[in-house]
Amino acid sequence: MTVTVSAGLSSIGLRWYETGQAGLSGPLLRLAEECDRAFRTLASVWEAADERHPSALPAERLQRLDYLHSFPHQATFPARLDPAHLDEFLAGEPVTESGAVDLTPLAPVTSVLTPAACYHLYHAHEGSSFSAPVYLTTRNTCYRHEERYEPLRRQWAFSMREIVCLGTHDETEAFLAQARAVVDEFLGLLDLPVAWPTATDPFFRPRDNPQYLMQRLQPSKHEATYGGDLAIASVNLHHDHFGAAFGLRRAGRPVNTACLAFGIERWLWAITDRHGLDPSDWPSPAQAAVTVATRTVAREVQL
Amino acid sequence: MHSEPEIRQALREWILGKARDLDPAALTDTTPLFERRYLRSLHVPELLLLLERLRGEPIDVEDLGAGDFRDIDTLLAKFGPARAAS
Repeated sequence: MTVTVSAGLSSIGLRWYETGQAGLSGPLLRLAEECDRAFRTLASVWEAADERHPSALPAERLQRLDYLHSFPHQATFPARLDPAHLDEFLAGEPVTESGAVDLTPLAPVTSVLTPAACYHLYHAHEGSSFSAPVYLTTRNTCYRHEERYEPLRRQWAFSMREIVCLGTHDETEAFLAQARAVVDEFLGLLDLPVAWPTATDPFFRPRDNPQYLMQRLQPSKHEATYGGDLAIASVNLHHDHFGAAFGLRRAGRPVNTACLAFGIERWLWAITDRHGLDPSDWPSPAQAAVTVATRTVAREVQL
Repeated sequence: MHSEPEIRQALREWILGKARDLDPAALTDTTPLFERRYLRSLHVPELLLLLERLRGEPIDVEDLGAGDFRDIDTLLAKFGPARAAS
């Protein structure tokens, strides 16, 4: 089944690599860009400011979130050779027959390739104090090692667009409620049926992890799940987890944060699964987003 | 196994030991412990161990559900001696 779909997808611009990476061109690339444009239009409901961030985060910053204890199995590191051992490296064949680099000692690894787009926002605004709710949006290529990969559904490298609210507890709750309503209306216009089950993150040794236990006791993540098992968007309440870790403050206390996240490749899978491989049969995400944003803002004005 | 009043008192003392900014007079059996951020995720493993010790039975974390640690009353209802005996 997957092979058939993949063959169809390759005819509209999917180039799949067994390393868990996808190349896009033609109709699929246009659809991916249109989806991201649509998500930015949805972000305009909150007048979210768009930001662009690098491809890696300092490991020390990420570890403030205990990331490398919680997700060591998913982390990917940018590494380089130790300059003191380059002669040793050049003395052998750089790449073995199996395709592995024949590494000599590495320089210290101090970064982690982005595992979630929104982490950059907390890092970039470290130490800030806010007097009103702040809404930000960003997109990044995210890297998560998985046991197995599937084109557009589960990739090592994938594109994530996030919309983040930094505010009080009530403001972040209100943001998530509205975010979910906005996504539901958007999905309705695209004729993509989803369920919104609670979810937990894929912690390493979850039973020993306080954050996993907390996610079970106080569900803070809901995923818009297409076809029973494909999370194409999620709403996440972080409480003051990031505010406390990065010195983000509101009225003298750590700020609360919440985010709405979209996995762009998964939207490609869902749209092509639902509407087929002919681009002329696809609904327009950009148009649907404009409709939803316009209606939402108009409803707020009426209130 | 400890009696219900003993478990209630032990939980109360443990909570006040962790939630330093919580006035003991303000801690009732229905005070939302995590919702109000008196307790945080890092306290959960220790609270689990305490409950297991007080009830004299292990707790399977896969059985934990939303709201199970909401307040002292809920903790008693879910993990107190009555449930342990059933």
